[in-house]
Amino acid sequence: MARGVMLMSGGIDSPVALHYLLRQGHEMVAVHMDNRPFTDDSPLEKVVDHLTLLRERYQQPIPLYVVPHGSTQVTLMRNTDRHVGCVLCRRFMWRSAERIAEREQARFLATGEALGQVASQTLSNMRSATASVHLPIVRPLIGFDKHEIESVAKSIGTYGISTRPGVCCQAVPDRPATRSNLVQILQEEERVDVDQIIEDCIRKAVVL
Amino acid sequence: MYRTLRVCSNGGAYEALPDPPRPLDLKRVRGVLEREGVAVVDARVMLIAALDPEVTISRSGRLLFKTRDGAVAERAFRRLQALLGLPAPEAGLESERNPA
Repeated sequence: MARGVMLMSGGIDSPVALHYLLRQGHEMVAVHMDNRPFTDDSPLEKVVDHLTLLRERYQQPIPLYVVPHGSTQVTLMRNTDRHVGCVLCRRFMWRSAERIAEREQARFLATGEALGQVASQTLSNMRSATASVHLPIVRPLIGFDKHEIESVAKSIGTYGISTRPGVCCQAVPDRPATRSNLVQILQEEERVDVDQIIEDCIRKAVVL
Repeated sequence: MYRTLRVCSNGGAYEALPDPPRPLDLKRVRGVLEREGVAVVDARVMLIAALDPEVTISRSGRLLFKTRDGAVAERAFRRLQALLGLPAPEAGLESERNPA
């Protein structure tokens, strides 16, 4: 079994995806991109509670890296086209996850993405987002519909945590692009110092 | 005109929307808040003001108060209203419900 890095948002999907990977016997590390001040404390609290539950269930330590992402959002909002903000945001999340994977000697990245659920989860946006990294990406829920995911979340006890009140991401544009062009994304990204942003985020990350 | 202060879709905050729409000049808003000693994060299309509670101020005029307490949100709204000269609701601001 391999060691992997799972992006955890606090939502319904990521703990279900993590559950499947743990059930297969993979050794997992969790990463939460901390979006404050564009959210409140609730996403991080939910991730901590999800992991408490899954650590107990699978008897795995599952270290949690909390990576500050709010300042990255501010930089992107000030300097790039808002329309593709979600794709750019995801590219920075993936890069951070990959850096942590290097540190943790993990061989794959994973998310709870399911095709077509939200703007960032269309095929073209997923391709644009993941073109920023090299490690293989595992998506255990890719073909699931929302109802199926919720059903599993209820059965493993994470649903009640995920659906607690919280502030959704305020950085999401009014009309996020559902199709993106990698050339345009790369041009937008040239407006910011990608390496410096990632360096700062990783330096400020904390492990819980 | 802000008619209601309502719970946002995820239930974690209160929001106020101007009706009819009334875009805000965020440069002016930032200047006013900073002169009052309020720390502001400027993300170009929105400001995040370190009031009590933290408030997201969008260019569209939408205000998001990060609290689940309607009374706290309403108090913060009144403060912003006084600082920024926001139009008063005709019949008072009514919190639709308290999710707490």
